Amino acid sequence: MEITNILFSGVGGQGILTSSRVLALAAVHAGLDVKMSEVHGMSQRGGNVDTHVRIGKEVPSSLIPAGGAHFLVSFEKLEALRYMAYLRPDGVAYVCPLEIPPLTQNLKKDAGYVKEIDRILEEKAPRVIWVDAPAMARELGDLRMVNVILLGALSRRLPMKEEDWEAAIRERFPAKVQEACMRAFRMGVDHVASDH
Amino acid sequence: MRKLMLGNEAVARGAWEACVAFGSGYPGTPSTEILEALAQYEEVAVQWAPNEKVGYEVAMGVSLSGHRALVTMKHVGLNVAADPFFSSSYMGVNGGLVVVSADDPGMASSQDEQDNRFLAKAAKVLMVEPCDPEESRWMAREAFTLSERFDSPVLLRMTTRVCHQTGVVNPQEREAWSSKGYLKDIPKNVLLPSHSKVRRFKVEERLLRARELSESSDRWNPIFKGSADIGIVTSGVSFGYVREAMPEASILKLGMTHPLPIERIRLFASGVRRLVVIEELEPYIEAEIRNAGMEVTGRELLPFTGELNLPLVEKALLGAPRHKVTVDLGGVELPTRPPTLCPGCSHRGMFTLFRDMKLRVMGDIGCYTLGALKPLAAMDACMCMGASVGMAEGLEKFGGPKEKGKTIGVIGDSTFFHSGIPALIDMIVNRSSATLVILDNRWTAMTGGQPHPGTGKDIRGNDAPQLNVAQVCRALGVRRVREVDPFDLEATRKALEEELAAPEVSVVVAVAPCILGAKLKKGEAVQIAIEECDRCGACIRVGCMGIHEKDGFPDVDPDLCTGCGVCAQVCEKGAISLPGVGRA
Repeated sequence: MEITNILFSGVGGQGILTSSRVLALAAVHAGLDVKMSEVHGMSQRGGNVDTHVRIGKEVPSSLIPAGGAHFLVSFEKLEALRYMAYLRPDGVAYVCPLEIPPLTQNLKKDAGYVKEIDRILEEKAPRVIWVDAPAMARELGDLRMVNVILLGALSRRLPMKEEDWEAAIRERFPAKVQEACMRAFRMGVDHVASDH
Repeated sequence: MRKLMLGNEAVARGAWEACVAFGSGYPGTPSTEILEALAQYEEVAVQWAPNEKVGYEVAMGVSLSGHRALVTMKHVGLNVAADPFFSSSYMGVNGGLVVVSADDPGMASSQDEQDNRFLAKAAKVLMVEPCDPEESRWMAREAFTLSERFDSPVLLRMTTRVCHQTGVVNPQEREAWSSKGYLKDIPKNVLLPSHSKVRRFKVEERLLRARELSESSDRWNPIFKGSADIGIVTSGVSFGYVREAMPEASILKLGMTHPLPIERIRLFASGVRRLVVIEELEPYIEAEIRNAGMEVTGRELLPFTGELNLPLVEKALLGAPRHKVTVDLGGVELPTRPPTLCPGCSHRGMFTLFRDMKLRVMGDIGCYTLGALKPLAAMDACMCMGASVGMAEGLEKFGGPKEKGKTIGVIGDSTFFHSGIPALIDMIVNRSSATLVILDNRWTAMTGGQPHPGTGKDIRGNDAPQLNVAQVCRALGVRRVREVDPFDLEATRKALEEELAAPEVSVVVAVAPCILGAKLKKGEAVQIAIEECDRCGACIRVGCMGIHEKDGFPDVDPDLCTGCGVCAQVCEKGAISLPGVGRA
């Protein structure tokens, strides 16, 4: 059973669910089976969130086992580190260089974030590809494009063709932003052009 | 046609295909999206009920009319609806009646982890359990046929990972089905003891007939023939883990888990050397197999709490998980990121006051339960829907002088309409002098912003009759009812002090809409004059994502801060200012 496992992680409200849905739709357009596990309810109130997407010829279950993810797509650095243990030894992490400090409890200095997180991420992960999707989205003038930029970067290593992605984007987004989404998607693709 | 659907959306699709006329329920994770998805089908009358019991009873009325009805709730919701659930089992149905119980193994969004399969058994109704979205669709559809064929409500038992699993489904057309119309039948539908004694036998006969189907059906309870070394009995979401962990095993997958096909299991067991049950939560299937005198293992191989997953099932079946963690984070300490009240939430100021006034807070179920977490930590107890009111009454009466004038019940508006009203009546007629605070934000917020009786909208967003919380309290007979603005901390503190001192029951209604539910535009962020800050930390202790520590001083995130002004009001130095208002 050849299954590709993609784990998305980030902070509630960052658009992780949308990204996973577009990925799952692209897989359906490519004629693949897909199962995906989403998070709803309490954890969406600013807590850490993760969605699991599994694609292949036949996918029996929806949860990625720890140590079984081929790809980790993280919208935030701390949440990249938190879910790093999901990666396989040959896994790849796509990470947004974004820091959202968790809720501060007091004014003690340095109460919030992991120090030297970039170094730790690169040291611990089998492989990190930095995708500054927020900066690229700002360049495009729409911060909501972060999720399609990340998908573009990831897409080079997945079995779906560009037309599958385009069909998924057209299915998921309203007509007036579809072109912008496709531009953002290609920006993500180009960002990793030198990566093999 | 292949279509991507959430498990909950697939239940709605299946019900629609079965020509369901009506859907009701009360929001509750992980069940909420079923009714929201059903509301997308305009042929179906869909409505939120104030609570699960009412939703169930309306659905029963629809069934009596001869139409098909669906009622949805989370696992603890079925406790609320347990009264009609158990009794309707004796009445049976006219139009098919399907009840969804969405259980939450692992308690992702719930106060307990109860396994509602036991409720189907106790109520003696049929139960079916899907494992993925496609099964959710066809089982929801077929459940209506089962309901009519066996004259029983059918429990469609889901779990979080089935409800919130997205997968490929094959939607079908809507069935041609027409109502038989109302059938008057007094001995069947009036549960007087003399009638119930007769119905009791019908219930037993029905289960015997249903068991024949369960025993013989390859569709509901399929067998996947494999190795004779091991036979695995499983159901629901666990089936996928079993298939993946041990594709070579023989598997009996139970889609109908009440009544259980004991003889089918016995036959299956006779063809394998070792019989194992893989099921989430309680050993429901395993106990029945053991009771029938078969040798079986299962529970001792798995944890007694939480969700199952592939590595756990691999460990149970193979002795060790095939998937192993290789990334070592040893030595790195990760700060947790628990959910918090949103920036701009109308509850934040209230809980800041409760904490600073050192009140004894009997809390309730909703976003505001997050007021129990640090740094607010301003809740003493939270049990179940509506319990804040009764617990406040009891604690205040027997807590001695220390609790007098200090004890409050805190309940959201949706929860108040759900089950707070009878408890408030108890406070009134039994002469409580406790104070009830109702947080009126006009939405059922925690589950994603559903309308409730105080919203003035229905599930499709159309205008609807709107109940006013303060008016309801006055009509019940509370003499001291006042409304406050929860963003005005000084006035709210004064109101709370006065009502706590009053020797009779009083209600304080904090009125301000949920910023998410009402889709309010974000205001401009506050500004901090760092030179005036004495680093007392009061602003940080309101627990807001919009303000955090930076180099030992508070710092505002202008993208998150909504300018609600709660942090500005607790700053004794007046170092925080609202745009356009100047220093607070």
